[in-house]
Amino acid sequence: MTHWAILSGINGNLAAYEAVLADLKRQRCQVEALYILGDLVGPHPQCEALVQRVQQPRQRELIPQVCIGWWEEQCFNLHSMGSDPEASELLEQTGADGVERLWKSVSRETVQWLRSLDFGFFEFDCLLIHGSTVGCHDVLTPETPPMQLLDRLLRADANTLFCGRSGLTFHLQIPAGAVTSTVTTLDAPAQTMTQTVRDRQIVGVGSIGRIPGKATYTLYSPYTNAVSFRTVRYGTQGRGFG
Amino acid sequence: MNIAVLSCIHGNLAALEAVLQEIDQQSVDKIYCLGDLVGYGPYPNEVVARIRERDIPTCQGCWDEDIVDGLNACDCSYPSLLAETRGRLAHEWTNQEVTPETRAYLANLPLTLQQDSLCFVHGSPHSQHEYLLPETSAFIAMERVLATGADTLFCGHTHVPYLRHLEDSHLTLKVVSPSTQSPIPSTTPLPTLKRIINAGSVGEPRHGRPNATYIIYSTDTQQAELREVEYDYAQTCAAILEKGLPAIFAWRLSKGLEYAEKADDPTHVCER
Amino acid sequence: MITVVAGPCGAGKTTWILQELAQMPTLAVYVTPGVDPVPIDATRVAAQFPQVEIFHQQSETELLQRLAAGVPAYFEIGFQLETDMPLLEARPHRRVALAADENRDDDWQLWADKVIRGNQSTLDLQSAQLWRAPLSGQVFDPPSLDTFWQELIQGAYGELHRAKGIFELADGQAIHLNFVDSLPGIVYTELNLPRWVQGRPQRFSGIEVVGQGLDKGAIAATLKDCYLSDSLLAAHQTTLRDSLSLEAS
Repeated sequence: MTHWAILSGINGNLAAYEAVLADLKRQRCQVEALYILGDLVGPHPQCEALVQRVQQPRQRELIPQVCIGWWEEQCFNLHSMGSDPEASELLEQTGADGVERLWKSVSRETVQWLRSLDFGFFEFDCLLIHGSTVGCHDVLTPETPPMQLLDRLLRADANTLFCGRSGLTFHLQIPAGAVTSTVTTLDAPAQTMTQTVRDRQIVGVGSIGRIPGKATYTLYSPYTNAVSFRTVRYGTQGRGFG
Repeated sequence: MNIAVLSCIHGNLAALEAVLQEIDQQSVDKIYCLGDLVGYGPYPNEVVARIRERDIPTCQGCWDEDIVDGLNACDCSYPSLLAETRGRLAHEWTNQEVTPETRAYLANLPLTLQQDSLCFVHGSPHSQHEYLLPETSAFIAMERVLATGADTLFCGHTHVPYLRHLEDSHLTLKVVSPSTQSPIPSTTPLPTLKRIINAGSVGEPRHGRPNATYIIYSTDTQQAELREVEYDYAQTCAAILEKGLPAIFAWRLSKGLEYAEKADDPTHVCER
Repeated sequence: MITVVAGPCGAGKTTWILQELAQMPTLAVYVTPGVDPVPIDATRVAAQFPQVEIFHQQSETELLQRLAAGVPAYFEIGFQLETDMPLLEARPHRRVALAADENRDDDWQLWADKVIRGNQSTLDLQSAQLWRAPLSGQVFDPPSLDTFWQELIQGAYGELHRAKGIFELADGQAIHLNFVDSLPGIVYTELNLPRWVQGRPQRFSGIEVVGQGLDKGAIAATLKDCYLSDSLLAAHQTTLRDSLSLEAS
């Protein structure tokens, strides 16, 4: 059965990405698509090398499908291509030092390429996106109120939502839900109806580069709807797969 | 305690005066306003002055925001090229017309107001541009009320008033992974009754009649009444023509069709 | 057989001819004088019956040849035109008038061989205004056109009696919109023409409006606000070609 490999949060960590590509080659199942749900870049010295590696897959490697994430948006802001030209969100979260490190890590040419990426992907009934359709900053976790999780699915009209902003791996299901709604207008008497939902799910796909030495990602079979998580340990000194 | 809730006045002074006059004849203790004081209509400064004079707590609408921050809403704000052209004309005219004092007042309006278990917003708690329509998914509607922590959410922006009760709700969440958490599905107990009350529009109705609409709500009985007020709309139509606003605005107002029209994707949130 | 069809504005002349043509297995000719440069009815007929030959002038040689050969011919006489046609003086023909009971005055009874019940017309010919404009090459933003059309028929630009038009839409389709004030609703028909997916459509589209106190300047200006710009049209057509090639593959 073929699978999708779904990655997020590489943050310029080339060693981590190589370790995950190696892990993918070892899979017994066939992997037919490789998604990177944003945060390809980050304040990392190997950022440019990582972007090149993603842009130029080797022979018999899958061509990654990449969408933008929170760090890409920060790059747009720094290069006056975004909605927050003062980059206040970045400044708040990383300080002036972080702003400078990101500026040095990603070239303008790379930022222009990042600008051409999609906001997310919709395949079958699945939305693959960095945060949610609300925005790249939208953090979903198992602690997010269930109605808010459902809102993110309904906004996109998706049965399954894959997201990466939290960096966590999680798999949440909404087997069933209902709300009864009564609407009264000026010209019509009260009308009552019950709305239901069933069988929706939200998957946190993990993070490749956030924790040094430990990468997590997701394998998904769109045919059986099976979700599994992979953890890849790698040495930063070339110690290989641990 | 009885409260009156108004929304979307859009520079229509005659409509506002008529509504305030009617409210004064009812036993109303407090008035709230859900924004969009300006835009399209001929008297933006006068409407703001009237709201301030009456000391009416008001939250900021999308038009108020645009006049302060400049027109930078994304294209999706307009359902058609025609509506966009008209919206821009109205924006430019209003932008020229408003005084620095009006602008400063609009700039300082809060996005939400809260009183006990009641919350007041223009569009939705998430955005002044989001439409909460009667047909918006009941789950999405419920999420918007829950997001405020209130029991009753007052909103406007759609220009058609309605009352919506949300009840008997349940939602089951099963954490499949991480496995350390309980694998047993947990059904979230949701509060028994939540309400969305849309105040319609004082100055730019869209329900097919030119009359102004607003809400009277009793905090004691929790009953809301949709009110419809006839007023001399011809006065506003004449002022539209006199002040050089497009004649089609006057025609649409007289038909209860709104000056432009509403966006058709209620769940879309502008990426500003 | 030559049939001459006349009647008040909006009576249903073209619709009746289309019904006749639908029952005609052979070749036919449709003649509609005096409509250049806005041949809305002729375009509608041609889209529905591509085999029907269309003529806009009475005296074209080819038309005379067809008549001589006995090809069935339908002449549609616009409500604003004289019903006497020199071409037909020496040729046997039947005269059909479409008129509602309320509109069957002596003139129609005297002129026609047969009066068929048509839609009612309340148009005062003395004060009536006719405005028409070719729109060829212009492509419309559908929600804008919808707003404009609703405003038009509800009287935003003057008291409207009749409106018809052929419009090119962003999805490459050409549509026919038809409104008569004595009938409920708007008739919306997609014309049986190929989708135009590359550049500005090189085929006829246009509008005709009949009413009283029409603000022609405002109608023309509002129509312009509904047009797609070159860049918007190109963007729509790119998406359109992609989706059509997807459908085809």
